[in-house]
Amino acid sequence: MSGGTATVENPVEKKLREEAKRLLADKKVDVIVGYEAGTLPLTATPCFITAPEEADKLVWNPCCTQNLAKFVHDLLSQHHEAQKRVKPEAKRKKTVGVVARGCTTRSLIIHLQEKQYGRDEVVILGVPCGGYVDNRKLAALAGGEEIREGAIDGSEVVVKTAKGNRKAPLGELLADCCLTCRFNEPVLADVETGKGTPVAAADKEYEPVGAFENLPAEERWAYFEREMAKCIRCTACRNVCPSCYCRICFADQSQPRWVDIGENASDTQLFQLMRMYHMVGRCVDCGSCTAVCPMGVDLRKFLKKLDKDARDLFGHRAGVSLEEPAPLGTYKETDKEEFIFNPGGGGH
Amino acid sequence: MTEGQSAKEWEPKIVAIVCNWCTYAGADLAGISRIQYPPNVRIVRVPCTGRINPFYILKALQEGADGVLVSGCHPGECHYLTGNLAARRKFAALKSFLSYIGVEGDRTLFTWVSASEGDRFAQVVRGVTEAVRKLGPAKKLVKKLPVAQPA
Ligand code: SF4
Ligand code: SF4
Repeated sequence: MSGGTATVENPVEKKLREEAKRLLADKKVDVIVGYEAGTLPLTATPCFITAPEEADKLVWNPCCTQNLAKFVHDLLSQHHEAQKRVKPEAKRKKTVGVVARGCTTRSLIIHLQEKQYGRDEVVILGVPCGGYVDNRKLAALAGGEEIREGAIDGSEVVVKTAKGNRKAPLGELLADCCLTCRFNEPVLADVETGKGTPVAAADKEYEPVGAFENLPAEERWAYFEREMAKCIRCTACRNVCPSCYCRICFADQSQPRWVDIGENASDTQLFQLMRMYHMVGRCVDCGSCTAVCPMGVDLRKFLKKLDKDARDLFGHRAGVSLEEPAPLGTYKETDKEEFIFNPGGGGH
Repeated sequence: MTEGQSAKEWEPKIVAIVCNWCTYAGADLAGISRIQYPPNVRIVRVPCTGRINPFYILKALQEGADGVLVSGCHPGECHYLTGNLAARRKFAALKSFLSYIGVEGDRTLFTWVSASEGDRFAQVVRGVTEAVRKLGPAKKLVKKLPVAQPA
């Protein structure tokens, strides 16, 4: 076996390849962003397909991790930028096809909502999703050994290492965000490839946040401090996040220099606080940031709070409606304001 | 608080970011009317609370403010009509997030003071100063630079 994942072509994959072939042959899209088998066992990497005959490379399995909406934004914003320097008669439209699970479609909706590109510039190949394998949980299964071969057989994951075979139910290896996900099907799709199975624990979504909220403030601060101390500010979490698409990020700005370069703990805390704060009602809990973080920072503990607040304070859920703007991009006269400081009462 | 200063001498240092049209005018009125209020606030005037990047608040905390007060026009009275309504959402989310990570709620306070409320401005500043005094010097998010050792 040459890396990747030993799985037989599943019906979704089959349909996906057919549809991708058709879209490319009919010139409905210029490129399709999807997943192909990775070079290591039990991995899949993003790939870009431009010819119908390449479509058979596409895979769809629980090793497909990253939220591909990021690439759609990258490709289209670069294209828009390049078109600015082209004579009007030579201007060209680019259409990007994308393999999208529930969270990816939510990110696409956020992009569309924020007018990053037009609906006609993207073709969404929706795929049903039952969750993806968390790379850390997988490494734990392998006991830190190198995974030489791996296979997902139905609902069981088997890895082969120098110290023998190990297996675990797929459910135990899924990423945390997948365990309570309610978006097992695309929210928006042009092409459908199958039906998803709902995960039962969707109602437990905010339990970890609730538990954290109940801790004493000093413990919460200590946890925040400890997690942030792990961060080496590689900015991988930002680079992978589909909602982090500013051309110049505050973290890279030098005028003003919002966060100093260097190792100061407070600068790292501010970098993280601010990046996360930009996610109010814009984080789709795809887990891409936690998956790429080389230091295993528990970003989700904080991001999920912002998600909960977007719901509690503004009644908003990220990326489910093309009409509803991100909560901090709008307001209501009736917004809650219990937090307003009012010494002596009255005032108004 | 600089090193070596005793807790007794400590006075809260509060950054007040206020809008030009209401709260700044309110502060002016407090001055003109000779209403006394604690000298602990350093006022930063901005056109509108809607113009405040939440990062300003975090930066103030990072660079040594013991508390940050943000004040603008009452909802419905914004000079730019809705700047304060947009700001209200940003601050609600920021305040909630800060307290989630364990930063004391009273380090960041938000309120509305109109141009005619000189007395309210003084009352707010008294309230904020007292609240921050109770908390003591800020320790969280504060940037500590390596102290040069005397040769
Ligand atoms: S912050 Fe993380 S989980 Fe949220 S949308 Fe961005 S990459 Fe996904
Ligand atoms: S990916 Fe991890 S280590 Fe890198 S900047 Fe983000 S939180 Fe820090």
